[in-house]
Amino acid sequence: MTLELAFVVIVIVLAILVGLRAELTRARGGKILAFIALFILPILSLNLGVSEHMERATSTQFCLSCHVMHDFGQSLYVDDPSYLPAAHFQNSLVPRDHACYTCHTDYTMFGTVHAKFRGLRHIYVQYLGTVPQPAEIKLYVPFNNRECLHCHAAMRAFEEEPKHSKTPGMMSRITSNQLSCMSSHCHDVVHNVATIKDATFWKGGQ
Amino acid sequence: MEMKSRPVMEKRLRWAGLLIGVGLVTQEITFIWIHPLAFIAFAAISCPLVIAGILLFLYSLVSPPPAA
Repeated sequence: MTLELAFVVIVIVLAILVGLRAELTRARGGKILAFIALFILPILSLNLGVSEHMERATSTQFCLSCHVMHDFGQSLYVDDPSYLPAAHFQNSLVPRDHACYTCHTDYTMFGTVHAKFRGLRHIYVQYLGTVPQPAEIKLYVPFNNRECLHCHAAMRAFEEEPKHSKTPGMMSRITSNQLSCMSSHCHDVVHNVATIKDATFWKGGQ
Repeated sequence: MEMKSRPVMEKRLRWAGLLIGVGLVTQEITFIWIHPLAFIAFAAISCPLVIAGILLFLYSLVSPPPAA
């Protein structure tokens, strides 16, 4: 990041220098310098900026920076392993710096793009729309098992778990998303922000 | 004709350099925060300024010199 910042600073200095000393472009060397300083390097710098902001937009800190997400962030620290996000977060089953994004992106070809558009919609609602209460926030579509199976598919602990084969064909219904991982009596305790005030919290991992 | 077109081209280059410089400075400022508004500032201010500067530079290369 420091190198990227330094690179962009150099590009700024070059662009302004060429702008202020435009008469340099009367010479052949000046023309080449202008092409590099006002075309090639700004494109590279902008690309760095896009890349950096896209990376930042997947961070847990970014997701939780809106006040309405506070309780969802708290749910990662609930001292109860039945809370699915808490169990994943506290046991480092998801990268803590990218905890929200890891589960809430779509693992499809354009999943990242869809996630970004959903993020833009959230920003619109946060600043220009009516912000709902945390307990009223729902997913746009039911959570797809594909996102769970991105990590859990073919995992021994997942395949050999007796609860996943309680009934004939249950495993195939899970893998084909016919039976949600978050079905009642399965992993149905997720963020549960409506009851988060009564929970106790894990103090570690800060 | 060549002499007359130079100041116009150089004026455009000045503006291009200024737009790119200001755009990239705002890009650096948005890196201070990890916040949705920083992303919006980058997308709504930095990107248009830098792209406008690049396009102005390209336009200065291909635009015909002013009529004598």
